[in-house]
Amino acid sequence: MSCILIKLKSMKTSKTNFLKIVSKSVLVLFLVTNSVVAQTDTTATNQPEAANSPKGGTEKLFLAGEAFTIWQSSHVQGYPSTNSFGADPLGLMIMPLVKLNDRLFLDAQVAVAANPIGGGAGVSLNELIISYKVLPGVYLFGGNFQPRWGLFEGILDDFTNRFCTDPVGMGLGAQTESGIGIQGGLQTGYSKINYQLYIANGPQLIVDSTGQQNGVLDYSNYTDNNKNKAIGGTIGYLPFSNSGLELDASGQYTAKTGGTGTVFENISSTSWAASLNYFHVFNPIMVRVIGQYENTQTQNYNLYTNETKTTLLVPSFNNQLSGWYAGMTFRASGSQSIFLSNLELGGRLGSLSLPNDAIWGGKPINQTTLCLTYWLTWKAPINIAYDIYTQAGSPNQNVITVRGMWYF
Amino acid sequence: MKNKISIKVILASLAIVLTSIMLIDGCKTPEAISTKSGAQLWGENCNRCHNAPDPTMFSDDQWDAATEHMHQKALLTDQEIDKIRTFLKQAN
Repeated sequence: MSCILIKLKSMKTSKTNFLKIVSKSVLVLFLVTNSVVAQTDTTATNQPEAANSPKGGTEKLFLAGEAFTIWQSSHVQGYPSTNSFGADPLGLMIMPLVKLNDRLFLDAQVAVAANPIGGGAGVSLNELIISYKVLPGVYLFGGNFQPRWGLFEGILDDFTNRFCTDPVGMGLGAQTESGIGIQGGLQTGYSKINYQLYIANGPQLIVDSTGQQNGVLDYSNYTDNNKNKAIGGTIGYLPFSNSGLELDASGQYTAKTGGTGTVFENISSTSWAASLNYFHVFNPIMVRVIGQYENTQTQNYNLYTNETKTTLLVPSFNNQLSGWYAGMTFRASGSQSIFLSNLELGGRLGSLSLPNDAIWGGKPINQTTLCLTYWLTWKAPINIAYDIYTQAGSPNQNVITVRGMWYF
Repeated sequence: MKNKISIKVILASLAIVLTSIMLIDGCKTPEAISTKSGAQLWGENCNRCHNAPDPTMFSDDQWDAATEHMHQKALLTDQEIDKIRTFLKQAN
């Protein structure tokens, strides 16, 4: 027993030493690269001003953003139809992009969305990321960020979503988190790879007295509930030199999701995702194929015990979530007709599987989507989508969604 | 049951179509980034996720910030983004 303790202690010491060495190395690297910048900047003052540089500074600010409105009509079989300006009736997102110099960059997203009920609006900070170029292809970043998680979240989920509505099986893995990491893109022969590695606060396990959400992971936290950090990363591979195909694999592991000192502290969680994005122009038709699979497995534990102080008596369940979607779009981008060249037709299938025995779970939900998009400009689509949701034992739900989105 | 079969057929058809078009792409003569123009890289990389923007849409300073945003978001290589940025600033 004592041998094990000594071994554990030595492991702990070596882990601490390792972390010290890593942090010192990062600090040294930062100072060295910074000194290079300082020298470069001093030299730069003697250089003639570049032809395109505006007088008054080298800092570049671009205030981008998006505005959108959504209208939905929903019909559940056997119930009266409803139609309204939907769950996100009206929204505005402001995105200040600041290039401070050739190495430092700030990227923020502040969202303002109208409340569907009760009037007023809610403001949230979607992202706030500062990145620093350490070496070519190596960028340090930190802040509140959406990790690369397949290709849907953070990339193909706004005006780039040609199916208008969100796929039912997405959002199961890493969400916007606070942390630091490195990322970049590199050429490997005629192919390319991109990568991201990060540590973050990670998800927090919900266990409360109501018991209704016990076992759900909550990512929306700026402070951690324990000392453990989540580690995650993604690797993307673009095998063709025309960048037409991207294959991504992402993963995140959290050894502890419960609050410090609780019996749930050591409940771990592992998530992973795999995705594909492909486009090709068969003149005059542009074809796009998109797909993603996600899976999250949280360690099994009976969350309904005396420790949870819940009055519910529910047996333990296999806390596994998975989802996928696959879609294809067609656009006559090479057509002589401007109207036709701006039309894009898409079809998508998807599914979400939740723990069947959990209070918040149930039988798998399937989604079939047809969407017609008209591109007013390259970043201003109008979508009309028709979704069919089916679930064994429940009536089908049909939803028509009209969305107008303007990215600026 | 019928529903399940049709979904399988659709997915299998998608897989066949995808494999075929990827084979077509794979047979093309590859080109290194260093030999490509900024305009070519702009078309190839922007279209991965969205339609390629008109270079005249933004000023040089705006392109500086916007391209850096996409550099980090899409994880483009340094050489790619340098060429694309130069092209956009020259063409606007």
